[in-house]
Amino acid sequence: MKLSLSWIKDYVNIPEDADLKKLAYDLTMSTVEVEDVEELARRFDNMLVGVIEKIEPHPNADRLRVCKVDIGGGEIKDIVCGGINLKEGMRVAVSCPGAVVRWHGEGEPVVIKNSKLRGVESYGMICASDEIGLGELFPAEQEAEILDLSAFDVPAGTFLADALDMNDILLEIDNKSMTNRPDLWGHYGIAREIAALYDLPLKEIKPFETDVQSDFRVEIEAPDRCTRYIGVEMSGVSVKPSPYKMQNRIWKAGMRPINALVDITNYVMLAVGNPTHAFDADNITDHIVVRHASEGEKLLLLNDNELTLCEDDLVITDSEGPVALAGVMGGAKDSILPKTERVILEVANFEAAGIRRTALRYDTRTEASSRYEKAIDPERCDQALALSMHYFKELYPELKVTGFCDNYVKKLEGAQIDVSLTWLEKRLGKHLTDDEIQGKLEKLGFEVQIDGDNMHVTAPTWRSTGDISIKDDVMEEVARMYGYDNFDATAFTTSFTGAINQKDKSLVRNIKEYLAVRCGMQEVYTYPWMNDVFVNAVLQNTDGILRLSTPPAPDLGYIRSSLLPNLCEAVVKNERYFNDFSIFEEAQVFFDKNYTSVYDETESLPEQRRHIGAAFASSVKDINTLFREAKGVLEYMPRYTHMEAYEFRKEEKPVWADNVVWLNIYLDDQKIGDMGLVAKKVSMECGVKNLSVMLFELDTTKLKPLKSRTNKFTHLAEYPETDYDISMLFDADAAWHDIYDAIMGKKKASALLKDASFVDEYRGKQIPSGKKSVTIRLTIGSDEKTLTSQEIESAANQVMKKLGKKMNAELRTQ
Amino acid sequence: MKDKINGILSEAKNKISEAASEGELQNVKSAYIGKQGALSLLMKEIPTLDVSLRPEMGKLLNQAKNEVKDLIDEKRVELKLKASEVSPDFDCSVPGIMPSGGGLHPITQMCYDLNDAFRSMGFEIFEEDEITSEMYAFDKLNFPPNHPARESMDTYWLEGHDSGSTNEKLCLRPHLTGGSVRYMQTHKPPYRFVYPGRVYRNETTDAHHERAFFQYEALIVDKDITFTSGKVMINSILSKVFGRDVPVRMRSGFFPFVEPGFEIDMQCQVCGGKGCSVCKHVGWIEVMPGGSPHPNVLRAAGLDPDEYTGFYVNIGLDRLVMMRYGVDDVRLFHSADLRFLKQFR
Repeated sequence: MKLSLSWIKDYVNIPEDADLKKLAYDLTMSTVEVEDVEELARRFDNMLVGVIEKIEPHPNADRLRVCKVDIGGGEIKDIVCGGINLKEGMRVAVSCPGAVVRWHGEGEPVVIKNSKLRGVESYGMICASDEIGLGELFPAEQEAEILDLSAFDVPAGTFLADALDMNDILLEIDNKSMTNRPDLWGHYGIAREIAALYDLPLKEIKPFETDVQSDFRVEIEAPDRCTRYIGVEMSGVSVKPSPYKMQNRIWKAGMRPINALVDITNYVMLAVGNPTHAFDADNITDHIVVRHASEGEKLLLLNDNELTLCEDDLVITDSEGPVALAGVMGGAKDSILPKTERVILEVANFEAAGIRRTALRYDTRTEASSRYEKAIDPERCDQALALSMHYFKELYPELKVTGFCDNYVKKLEGAQIDVSLTWLEKRLGKHLTDDEIQGKLEKLGFEVQIDGDNMHVTAPTWRSTGDISIKDDVMEEVARMYGYDNFDATAFTTSFTGAINQKDKSLVRNIKEYLAVRCGMQEVYTYPWMNDVFVNAVLQNTDGILRLSTPPAPDLGYIRSSLLPNLCEAVVKNERYFNDFSIFEEAQVFFDKNYTSVYDETESLPEQRRHIGAAFASSVKDINTLFREAKGVLEYMPRYTHMEAYEFRKEEKPVWADNVVWLNIYLDDQKIGDMGLVAKKVSMECGVKNLSVMLFELDTTKLKPLKSRTNKFTHLAEYPETDYDISMLFDADAAWHDIYDAIMGKKKASALLKDASFVDEYRGKQIPSGKKSVTIRLTIGSDEKTLTSQEIESAANQVMKKLGKKMNAELRTQ
Repeated sequence: MKDKINGILSEAKNKISEAASEGELQNVKSAYIGKQGALSLLMKEIPTLDVSLRPEMGKLLNQAKNEVKDLIDEKRVELKLKASEVSPDFDCSVPGIMPSGGGLHPITQMCYDLNDAFRSMGFEIFEEDEITSEMYAFDKLNFPPNHPARESMDTYWLEGHDSGSTNEKLCLRPHLTGGSVRYMQTHKPPYRFVYPGRVYRNETTDAHHERAFFQYEALIVDKDITFTSGKVMINSILSKVFGRDVPVRMRSGFFPFVEPGFEIDMQCQVCGGKGCSVCKHVGWIEVMPGGSPHPNVLRAAGLDPDEYTGFYVNIGLDRLVMMRYGVDDVRLFHSADLRFLKQFR
């Protein structure tokens, strides 16, 4: 909302020397957020009113003229101009060098300089209204029309800001910061708040009184939706421009002047915040009735939209049908028309939620509806009426009130609230005297009676439509008037019953830190929605996946049941810059099943779990290395992050995985995840170019954190242990798992074996086809003595012999 | 002979002290006490001497040999201490090998920093599911039906669950506060918890607006809390994030679920409060809303608002991280772009 400070000053006497920065600051701290304080005149710096003395043709251009312009101080300047309405003696707006304009009202602002136009020196420019931001205040009727200021009786050389009454301060207020304060939606409301903050007198708007007698009446058939309707029937009006001062203020507040009749209604709304409307009285048949619309009833609005109404809409009607959509917009047929001579002025109050429903239903949010939907108090109609009648009489001295009706269904009383002063002090954390509290509230229009510990408060009507209803609201009023910044911070006390121990939270953090810090992986975040391309490539099935009603893009409708599609997308994105990287993400996944809620039996939420997923991508490592890297990360995770160990099995191939390179992850006989190489077909569909990609995904919610660390201490070996490497040829399909089992299984190959570990495997040159060479490191030692080399050799031989027998292995000869 | 010995000895001493490397020293050693060394050769002359002189000369020679040997050993140690195993042109300015290339997302880092701070003050960490019902997104938070504030948070509704009563309508949570009500419903007061999480708004995105972003909610509910206690929470958060005390101001603000409600601004850390383009020339930046939970919210959680009150803040983590590092586009956080993420380690 934009406010003019000079307009606010109509209602409250802000001292001339007031610090406006402080005013904006104080309003921001206590009431509403002032987003900007603009010195309006700055827009018109270096702009003057000039008088065209003489117009001469341009020697080099048919469409340009060279004007001799009097810019005051006895200076006549040549200005080249292409305006089509130039006349000698015309007052025009001259932008002198240094002024900032927009060419033809479009594009970036440009600083005017002395320049030559087609060979003729020009001192600045003669402006069209939209070039100096006044297109709405002085709309041009045709292209290339110069702003004609002849109606402003000022001498040449007058500053444009002075001539056009632009020496004003505009306050821009964040609408969001006052959705709860219907009383502030107008200059008078802000003036009232300023008066309260600075203890300044507020000007009262004297009520309108009339003794007119006639059979003019208004009927309210929907008292639930219309709390008050004042109709004033008047003759002796006409459609003409409103006075410049009114137009100027309407423009400053961000609206467009139209004609005097419409301008009065808008002006009053901007002043006191209560929308008003004027109907052409000659088009209203019989009298006005406020009622619910009938289902299917039609109404053509002022903006030429024809609506088919429903019963929840409220309409203003005459005996022929609807003439306006109440509180939202007037009808095209019966509003102000060029020939209007008699009007019916509507000053009314409508129920907020209903107006809002209607405005949303037809996507017709207007200045009026946005005010009504905040819940305006019906008492404000009196101010709106008084101000309207003041201006009607001022603009139309011949005006006659021929009918008047104030149909006030239910008078609004101020909210009554009892507040315990002990409670108040406790909540404020500060002692304020009764007088201080009373004083602060009374300035805001509250009536206050203090009786012992009880304070009885009557809120002003303009705060009683929902804004102030409980004692906490009263507390807020006291606190904000005192100034939140003036309260000291107070420490909170607590009793500790024990250390906070949240195993599940710690586990997730341990895992993330393990992956990032120990495994060198980068954590990424992706959106919960998945791209269809990756859903189709990776998941290959959309059963049980939830969708958004209005997704960010048509192909981003599915929300994730797995982290893998988005991780694959991240891999593809990063392939441009990296050829060897690993990433992971921990996030929530969603399933269209098992609807339930532990919080409310009527609520049913879909199954939601947390997963951790990872991708290892490389075009420089072979598959074997990449696989072992990924598997290693998984294998060591339980140990390092303090959770129960899981195991690998090969039971069910993930749809996205290569036919050979994959594993399932099991905990307590339950599958909790997969890992594997992304199948070539899948990675091609994803758009991966050269990378091999290994993925894993685990259900984090199923992981079991250990209660405490479970490392076990083993005594250090008393006698030396020896590492002894053997390389043997195995059948190509021999599994390490079985080799290990043959060596270290139930019947150890030698009593002296402490351990056996995998070193590497090799296929290729020098290895017969159908075979592979595996290098195994044996750890050999005794608890009783230092072994001789013969004893070590013999233990190793036992292993080789056993592998030969059980695994068909033979010693490598080359 | 005595003179000869002394001559050789002093010559050897000079050579030893001049030796600049172990190699040279080795040469000195063989030249004087090696098999063909000067002193060894003299030893062979002893039998040719007069018998009466032999013991004395033998003794002298042996002393000289030992002296040379000791000096050489001494010198060898000295040279070892001075020398290097590599050539002197070894380049120590080559960069080291990075220990591990990974890292946590900058928002995770910020979140963990804050968790640590709050845990040290006895706060629990809470998490909730991201899909919620309209009932918990709005009703329980004192948003009346049809209230404009419902619309200010444009919500992602789920297909097939986007109509009906508010317990049937499901959405991606537009804020965390509904989850806090769930916490209060299932725990006994007093409460002291933080609640980090991602929230969603159906918005057009640009450098400052995202559809998915992170909030960090901190809530304390007890019998004797005043809103001024909240200032302690706010100061803790900001000093943790920025590593120093940051001036803050609390001003009047409206959110349906708090009463009273605040907007909490911090001094712009780019210009130090003088006013710059980042803070739109006001010197302050809005960082979080806060306030005391509205009595209706406490009631929705099953608490008696006459008995309990509290303080709540809700921090936009994205904005805080952007301030801390000078990130100028909020969309980078969900880009999964390693060129961006690798900067935060």
